[in-house]
Amino acid sequence: MSLSEALSSIFVMPFMIRAMLVLLALAIAAGVIGVFINLRGLEFMADGLTHAVFPGIAAGFALSGQEGLVVGALAAAAFATVTLTLLSHRRVTSDTAVAIVLTAMFSLGVIIVSRSRHVTGSLEQLLFGHLFTVSVTEVLLTAGICVGALLLVMTSLRGQLFSAFDSAGAQAAGYRELTNLLLLNIAIAGVVVSASIAVGNLLVLAILIVPGAVARMWARGLAGVFTGALLFAVVFAFAGLIGAFVVSVSTDVAIPGGAAIAVIFVAGYVLSLAFRLVIQQRRRAAGS
Amino acid sequence: MIQRLLDTAGVSFAYDRDTALADITMHVDPGQAVALIGPNGSGKSTFLKGVLGVLPVISGSLKVLGHDRDFNVGGHIGYLPQDDHIDADFPVTLRQVVMMGRYRRLGWFRFPRAVDRQAVADALTVTGLSSRANVRFGTLSGGQQQRGLLARALATKPDLLLLDEPFNGLDQPNREALIATVRELKSQGVGILLTTHDLDLAREVCDSVLLVNKRQIAFGPLDQVLTLANLQAAFGDVQVEVDEHKVVIPGHEH
Repeated sequence: MSLSEALSSIFVMPFMIRAMLVLLALAIAAGVIGVFINLRGLEFMADGLTHAVFPGIAAGFALSGQEGLVVGALAAAAFATVTLTLLSHRRVTSDTAVAIVLTAMFSLGVIIVSRSRHVTGSLEQLLFGHLFTVSVTEVLLTAGICVGALLLVMTSLRGQLFSAFDSAGAQAAGYRELTNLLLLNIAIAGVVVSASIAVGNLLVLAILIVPGAVARMWARGLAGVFTGALLFAVVFAFAGLIGAFVVSVSTDVAIPGGAAIAVIFVAGYVLSLAFRLVIQQRRRAAGS
Repeated sequence: MIQRLLDTAGVSFAYDRDTALADITMHVDPGQAVALIGPNGSGKSTFLKGVLGVLPVISGSLKVLGHDRDFNVGGHIGYLPQDDHIDADFPVTLRQVVMMGRYRRLGWFRFPRAVDRQAVADALTVTGLSSRANVRFGTLSGGQQQRGLLARALATKPDLLLLDEPFNGLDQPNREALIATVRELKSQGVGILLTTHDLDLAREVCDSVLLVNKRQIAFGPLDQVLTLANLQAAFGDVQVEVDEHKVVIPGHEH
């Protein structure tokens, strides 16, 4: 297939349309929720959740194949979210709590995978997703979970912002810190679960964290941060998908969609950082 | 009788299970300002947090705005925290911070209306920050941030205003402006409870004093409470500022 044929076929092939729909849902949810991760400094918590979801994915897959993935992931995410939120809210330092739960759950996942030949063969798919082979059911599930996660954050938006800016002040204003944190962590877990299907468990973090971090570099106000993160997430997700597809069909080297997207996201972050440094240098030079 | 804005009887608050402040009996009436005075770590901020419902009441009774629980959901209490925990890089403008004072009245979904925007604009005017409204909060100077947080508390249009060390870090003009603001709020019937180290200031704007050191030492009109014996009981063997003179209060010698 030539390059131009490949490009023109992108928007016609059903599997590409499914992949785009999944990515659109994911990018919107991750863009918005990622801003809160950034504002509240919950990156490590998000990392903990992605690792904690892994045994759920593995167990679900071992028990009932691809269909079991989401159920297992949701169960593990529910357990991990509640545990992590409660632990980090108590006296245990947040990082310690996350590190312990992360390691315990991930080891459990590895044990499950190693006990089951059936799963071992699909390990790559579990870790890196199967963007090009998502089923219609998975598209609907992803979209549903993403909408739910977004609703959780949007309905508690004011409390989330207030808590992120000044948690003592927010509590004083009558917002419950534990409720806010739990809602946000559930939303993060939702994105982690749905993104695990498409881009894979190991690469979720790029999608969740990069857009917010990049937008934070450039935007001055809240509206700018949210818009920037959303735009970055959608544009770079599609760029990664189309890039992976075009390279795969024109060179016969199969590139996993999830990995391509993660790479593009990280590249975007590095570029943004470099650009930022150059501008600061210029300003300093101009100022002196 | 006028309804009391804050009314406690033998109330104690605790962090986890350790009692942090015990046996406080005091009240704040509309149009009154009460100074909360005590040494560092004596439980002044604890008392404010207890009144805000952040810390649990472990004994005694606490009535805020006529309610004995869930009193802080309608956004009728304004609070100025000590400004020491705010991320300077946080992407919010001063105006957005002050609008946070309206959040509880806005609830979950309602967009700010003219009345909310007016409350924010008024609070910015009173604190002299109107020209800085669209600046990122973190780029303001320390004193301006402090006034910005005061503006947030004022934007709630509170019935009861709690100020934690509001005069810390203010220069003379700002200090006078704040005194004028406190007087103006009192004349509007707002009740104010403020913590301070400064006895002069208490004399200037407050009607009564609550003197604490882990527990209540005294509560009442200024001249009855600010006696040498009471101050000694509260501060022990440390320096206390009385009438601009450093006075060393002698320790107990038995």
